[in-house]
Amino acid sequence: MKDRKFSTVLLTLALIFVLFAGACAPAAPAAPEAPEAPAAPTAKALPDEIVVGVVQPLTGSFAVFGKEGQIGAELAIKHINEAGGIKSMGGKKLRIVVEDAGGTADSAKLATESMISKNRPVAILGEYISRFVMAASEVTDREKVILIADALVPQITQMGRQYLFRPGPTATNHGAMAYQFVKETAAAAGVEVTSLAILNEDSANGRANSLGATEAALKDKISIVTTLEYPYDITDATQIVQQLEKANPDVIIHTPYFNDAIVFGKAFKETGYYPKFIAGAGACGYVDPASIAALGDAAEGISMTFSYNPAKDTPQNKKFVDEYKATYGYIPTEGAGMNYYGAMVLYEALEYAGTNFPDDPLNPDNLRASFLALDLTSGPAVETYPSNQIKFSPTGDNLFPGVVVLQVQNGQPVVVYPADGAEAKPVFPNPYYVAK
Amino acid sequence: MNVKKFFNPRNILILFGVGIALVIPLIFKAGQYTMLLMTTVLLYAILASAWNIIGGMAGQLDLAAAAYLGLGAFTTGTLLIRWNITPWVGMIIGGLVATLLAMLIGFPLFGFKVKELWYALSSSALVVVMQSLFMMWNEVGGPTEKYLPVGTSPWYSLRFNDYMPYYYIMLIILVVVLLVNRWIRYSKLGYSLLALGEDEDAVEVLGVNSQSSKLKALAIYSFICGVVGGIFASIYGYVHPAFFDTSMSMEIAILGIVGGMGFIYGPALAAIVMVSFREVLRASLGSQLAGLYLAVYAIILIVVALYQPRGIAPLVERGIKKAQTYFVELTRGRRADIKSS
Repeated sequence: MKDRKFSTVLLTLALIFVLFAGACAPAAPAAPEAPEAPAAPTAKALPDEIVVGVVQPLTGSFAVFGKEGQIGAELAIKHINEAGGIKSMGGKKLRIVVEDAGGTADSAKLATESMISKNRPVAILGEYISRFVMAASEVTDREKVILIADALVPQITQMGRQYLFRPGPTATNHGAMAYQFVKETAAAAGVEVTSLAILNEDSANGRANSLGATEAALKDKISIVTTLEYPYDITDATQIVQQLEKANPDVIIHTPYFNDAIVFGKAFKETGYYPKFIAGAGACGYVDPASIAALGDAAEGISMTFSYNPAKDTPQNKKFVDEYKATYGYIPTEGAGMNYYGAMVLYEALEYAGTNFPDDPLNPDNLRASFLALDLTSGPAVETYPSNQIKFSPTGDNLFPGVVVLQVQNGQPVVVYPADGAEAKPVFPNPYYVAK
Repeated sequence: MNVKKFFNPRNILILFGVGIALVIPLIFKAGQYTMLLMTTVLLYAILASAWNIIGGMAGQLDLAAAAYLGLGAFTTGTLLIRWNITPWVGMIIGGLVATLLAMLIGFPLFGFKVKELWYALSSSALVVVMQSLFMMWNEVGGPTEKYLPVGTSPWYSLRFNDYMPYYYIMLIILVVVLLVNRWIRYSKLGYSLLALGEDEDAVEVLGVNSQSSKLKALAIYSFICGVVGGIFASIYGYVHPAFFDTSMSMEIAILGIVGGMGFIYGPALAAIVMVSFREVLRASLGSQLAGLYLAVYAIILIVVALYQPRGIAPLVERGIKKAQTYFVELTRGRRADIKSS
């Protein structure tokens, strides 16, 4: 009897475990066949191929983002090789190796160790979650491997890591941009905005976004009537929406995670409370195709900040977007974009190293020096980057971070800000809310 | 001690295992990846062996391991970050704090005779509650990772650049936990717990205080989890409420059950086999087809549940018995040969 009881319990636990861990695992196209790891390069002779690692959460609750990041990096490496590889190193080709970081920090750290011990890449792209980057960057710094991170949380570059670079903007940049967008768009439309409510899910990312928005707003002496934080897996937002209604701000700056944006969108619709505008920050939720499909007209007019501009009108970006769309059926967004230009920044650094350190371009310290020496205003990295300059600070952050704002207009996400990279003009106040 | 009695096949096997574990890193000059993997395996082996006390022996399906582990991690981490107290002290305090929490939870739970699935649910909820609490408690937890400083001396801050020291610390703890398991198993407490796991009411009638026995088991288990939490934080270099991980708690219970409920070495063995196997699957299949490794892992668990419901320890036990009889027959056979000649 006892045996059967425990086998039932065990079966149940096993099933729940798999459901938990694999809940978001997307169907993945097979990664390119990885040949045997190349032998360690003899002193200063270049290897046949330059190995680039991609470590992304491909299973677990962050899998959707990790998968996109992997695709972005793969396309970038493909384009670099098609364009003739690293020309300053005699056209050396890049080879990509992918490893799954799983859903927890311990699997992310294991994956990073495994990636380095098996493949010895010159650089690793990814990890997406700030605590994964935190655990992994201890490994990459010890092994002197460049880590090109695609996590937004500002703290990851504040731990004194030497080989960590983040081409993308920080979450604080995102929050500040959300505010700046509201301010300028409202002024252009002649609408007065005197009060804000700041709303975010309770992760490090959510909080950093809100901090950026708050700081920017306080500089302009805009009053912040309420700041609210809630768990990202919230299932009922009615109460919070009622609190917002009581505070009655002109504009709400909201940093959602993903599903919570849908929960909030529906709660706004149900309660019938609408401010003049809801501006999203932090690149998740509201304006992606899945959220628009779930929210219907409740998504109309909401804006969101992104670290990548799919509408940037440059040949390299067109090539990326077209090929991505042709293969996967939708345009690349945050994860894919960040890893695409991350790989392109690596390409520029490799070219620089080949030219300026011809004796030993792949030496980690030479490569690091190359990253720090970059001051890009043209080329494939800038062509796909939201701002028009890439230059790293000594801590590894981009001194010219670019953030763009997309708005849902007639059920489609369109780039509306900043004006020079925009597809359409922003609409303010939210026409859908005005009509109500 | 009787030397002859000590060198029976079982003890030889155990000594052999410990010996191998001691020299593996030295012989193979294992790389950092292998060392981290083996350290992780030991971590799970310790937690599963600790779980064996409350789950295997006392029969309480406890799913709160990560709550105690996380609490130990936060205690150790906070003491180091705020007051620069070494994790060597921090992890003991962490263990005690975890025990305190366990007592606060265990006293009413066992007092009101919450058992079986209800106990599982309550203990599982504890992990979620702790995660939410530490998410809100900004001074100690909060959504932003708190980074543990490396400091001047790695031995003081328990922050090493390679995993060898962690490995040996974990190995020592595992041996201690296995000895504790063994000591409990053959003590009065152990017999009460085993009987409790079978039929609580009958044991009560016989005059065993089931509540205090279960509380003792829970205290030892949570203390071990808390201590290990301190090392866990040191290895990963930060503390974050994500340490309160429901699926980790569940995996530890699974390892305990797969290993063989109540067998001293079963859960550790299961952890060594299953966790390394899972990692091999992740590293080899992870980039090919995302999630495949989890499916394969689950299938193996299901097969074990169907065909070896009592776990893998009884299987090993049978093997040892066979070896023993073979051994005895061999010596007897020899004697017979001598007599006949």
